[in-house]
Amino acid sequence: MARLGFLMGMVAIGALLWGGTPYAHGQKTTEMFIPMGQSPGLSGNVTVIGTIETVNARDRTIVVAGSSGRWSTTVTKHTHIWLDRSKLHLPTQYGTFADLRKGRMVELYYEGRERRDKGPAEWIKVKVTEPSGGAARQ
Amino acid sequence: MAKVWTRHTVKGAAQSGLAAVCVSVFALASCQTLPPPDPQAKLIAKGRDLFLNETFEGNGRTCGSCHPPENNFTIDSSFIATLPDDNPLFVAEFNPDLATLERPELLRKFGLILENLDGFDDLENKFTMRGVPHTLGLSVSVNSALGPRTGWSGDGAPGDGSLRSFATGAVIQHFTKTLNRVAGVDFRLPTDEELDALEAFQLSLGRQADLTLPLPLRGTIAKRGQEIFLDRNTGKCSACHVNAGANGDPNIFGAGAGNLNFDTGVENLPDQPARLVETFPIDGGFGTDPDGGSTNVPNPDGSFGNKTFNTPPVVEAADSGPFFHNNAVQTIEGAVAFYNGDAFNNSPAGQLLRGATGSGINLDGTQVDEVAAFLRVINALENIRESIAQLGASLDVHRSKADEHLKLAIAETKDSILVLKAAGLHPDAVAHLKKAKRLTRKAARSWFFRSKKTREAISEQKKARALLVE
Repeated sequence: MARLGFLMGMVAIGALLWGGTPYAHGQKTTEMFIPMGQSPGLSGNVTVIGTIETVNARDRTIVVAGSSGRWSTTVTKHTHIWLDRSKLHLPTQYGTFADLRKGRMVELYYEGRERRDKGPAEWIKVKVTEPSGGAARQ
Repeated sequence: MAKVWTRHTVKGAAQSGLAAVCVSVFALASCQTLPPPDPQAKLIAKGRDLFLNETFEGNGRTCGSCHPPENNFTIDSSFIATLPDDNPLFVAEFNPDLATLERPELLRKFGLILENLDGFDDLENKFTMRGVPHTLGLSVSVNSALGPRTGWSGDGAPGDGSLRSFATGAVIQHFTKTLNRVAGVDFRLPTDEELDALEAFQLSLGRQADLTLPLPLRGTIAKRGQEIFLDRNTGKCSACHVNAGANGDPNIFGAGAGNLNFDTGVENLPDQPARLVETFPIDGGFGTDPDGGSTNVPNPDGSFGNKTFNTPPVVEAADSGPFFHNNAVQTIEGAVAFYNGDAFNNSPAGQLLRGATGSGINLDGTQVDEVAAFLRVINALENIRESIAQLGASLDVHRSKADEHLKLAIAETKDSILVLKAAGLHPDAVAHLKKAKRLTRKAARSWFFRSKKTREAISEQKKARALLVE
């Protein structure tokens, strides 16, 4: 009986401690410095790489047309937007929704890994090809 | 013209003949035919070369700068003190572009490395200081049902968060030439093939399987320590360190739970040595917000993350201190005693343990020593296993590569001697280990008796092991 009580108690610990820690799908902080298309295990696998086709500022959604089709996503206040200036040999900058402009090449990664229509984006990398291309803060 | 044979020419011919025989013996010894390495072995060898030598066109550091094989793939202040001032580990001291890459005093005195785990948007105020975890036994400690756990908080890798991707994040964080961190300028990123090789090498290090406890230990003190470690009413250690590894007990956390994160209150330890010297931010552990997500919402104490850190294996603990993510505790006895203190017992993990079992952890001084003795003995057993593996490997490779195996066998043997001797454990086994170390050194120096001395060293290692465990 004591053994059962111990096990039940520990199972409760398991549920509380273990269940409270989400899937470790990547430490995002160094992710910002990885150029578009080179994120290990993600690029060419679960991310969408393509051109922004439409931008809806009111809904904060964008549609990206890539080789795997057209994908829409919602840009939340938690979505990281990074301006990839590696082709210019310049450091990555933090971006804003204003940097998501039609015709720009982006790489999009959905929250929770799975691609889904209008699903929230965890991060979006925007390829910047001109030094003044970002409307963002450093 | 007829050759006139004098005494001198005969003697010269004899000497030449002897020399020729010697050369032939040397040639035969060094031209032994070895089977070609299998593809996995080749991948591991490539990974090893990258791990120890590849700078990725950065500031000169390699993976081995912080994970040296001769120091259990980790660094501590004693090891750091042996390095020359121009070692790339100290790049922040001599490269003005990288002056804030590290906190030099914390690196030299406490082995703490600066990590921007919570973002690069405020480099002055937003960073963590962490010890270097060893990379041993990763094949049995990195996986969890919730995905791979890398680094101290389990979220150390970019990309898909895997061990394979970890190297990419490490290059960006630690190898950069400037704080701009521009790929192709400040470093180059590892290629897919290099990531494969680095992962294969890291997974090949140390144990490839967990122990099965209880072990039939011979020492009374270590045996009692093992009982306490496994006991659900006293030590309660195996709930999170099943079989003294890094994984949660499947009876509690479910089959395949694997490596887990907990908030054990280490950050709340009073008088942390490094914080007595310098002020630096509180480490929030996993993620960048209180829920473990990535929203950059701080905790009330200013830290970022859900305060949890992942569970390291304890088989390799005794010779790879200091302990915990912040190197706050120097000895294995101190690490065991941590679980007696307020920092743990008042932590979320400690409180839940108390609620589930009716009490916190409250070991007496003798019991702390006994659990530590158990951890020292299983560490020594692992050192012996690895020493025998390295000695055996030295017999299977060309002479030019054997020295590296013998060097590692000596390092492992030194560790096994140290972890036992420091607590007065098994002096009889220590004597055999000292003999094994001497024989291994002789093997490394000898041309003709290398194999013989190596086999004798293996025999001494086995004798030592037989005194520790049935």
